[in-house]
Amino acid sequence: MSDALSDDHDASDMSGGDDGQEDVMTPSELIGKLEEAWLNEKFSPELLENKSEMVECVMEQLTHMEANLQRVRKAVTSALASKRLRSFSLMSWRKKRKSRAEGDPSFLSPEEFAFAKEYLANTETYLKAVALKHMPPNLQTVDMPKAVPEPCLDSFVFLRVREKQENILVEPETDDQREYVVDLDEVEQYSSFNCQGASFLGSDAVVSFQL
Amino acid sequence: MDPSEVEFLAEKEVVKIIPNFSLDKIYLIGGDLGPFNPGLPVDVPVWLALNLKQRQKCRIVPPEWMDVEKLEEIRELERKEDTFTPVPSPYYMELTKLLLNHASDNIPKADEIRTLVKDIWDTRIAKLRLSADSFISQQEAHAKLDNLTLMEINTTRSFLLDSLNCMYKLRSNLQPGSSVGKAQDH
Repeated sequence: MSDALSDDHDASDMSGGDDGQEDVMTPSELIGKLEEAWLNEKFSPELLENKSEMVECVMEQLTHMEANLQRVRKAVTSALASKRLRSFSLMSWRKKRKSRAEGDPSFLSPEEFAFAKEYLANTETYLKAVALKHMPPNLQTVDMPKAVPEPCLDSFVFLRVREKQENILVEPETDDQREYVVDLDEVEQYSSFNCQGASFLGSDAVVSFQL
Repeated sequence: MDPSEVEFLAEKEVVKIIPNFSLDKIYLIGGDLGPFNPGLPVDVPVWLALNLKQRQKCRIVPPEWMDVEKLEEIRELERKEDTFTPVPSPYYMELTKLLLNHASDNIPKADEIRTLVKDIWDTRIAKLRLSADSFISQQEAHAKLDNLTLMEINTTRSFLLDSLNCMYKLRSNLQPGSSVGKAQDH
């Protein structure tokens, strides 16, 4: 097995995230953001904003590194693993999020949207072939948007706050509790918020599901 | 979340090693490392340290907190307090396991350390169980849990969240015709 680190190497200098984005990030910041996006997507009950630019950036960095640094396999492997994990978890989430009536179809990338449409068409065909055509004529259609389960926005999550948040409303579950307001401090960790304001919770600047 | 994913995140933590080879600074996608000079300590991520150790290219320096007396103090504090005390490292469990499995010859009193960390872990998990229990029985809507590490949360995550979701649905499903679907498993 060739010894990656003991040979002389010609490492190319990483010139940072200078790839035409408005906010220039170093590669390590980029990887950090990718990781965060992965964890948020994984733990959030609903589809979050697409990060296709970031994914493209990372892919670009990786291919750049692969071309120049064939011998430093570890670094590439580590980053590749992280990207693969993220792609895998994203794909598995997004497969469950197609054709939501209230849709965030804008959150799907064009390829994902095409995939979603195809999946929907295939499901309809399957249902027709297997069950619907054997049913009495007036029951032979199915209303697809209604048939798809919505993600449960009231599910509980763990979360951590990055910036101090004040006055978060927590709604009561039982009648004898009242609504109360909570201040979230930076860096404290919380369990089990009702995920009511999922879009708020999913917004970048505010909160991370990183737990 | 899979424990191996937590371990993957833990492997990004930085640890000191003493290499026995020399190498110029290297530029990795996650940051720069090096230069490496034999006998001089250098900070590297754990995944790299373990790899080098396995190829017998370095010696790992145990982190400061991985010391019998310090861990004993932490353990006593943990047993005294009702809430979770700050931990020496957000990945203390994973790092202990990884470093003691691969580099126990570099760590003095490895067995004692293993026992101490396990005790601390057991105490914290017991506290976590208690607090989860009271969270559910008092039907709270939110709970604050500082100082919990990812691995500890992970042990209870799927059970706790699923059961809370279930109970929420049972309690709130008083109106017929609600179309709240069950979120799919991940």
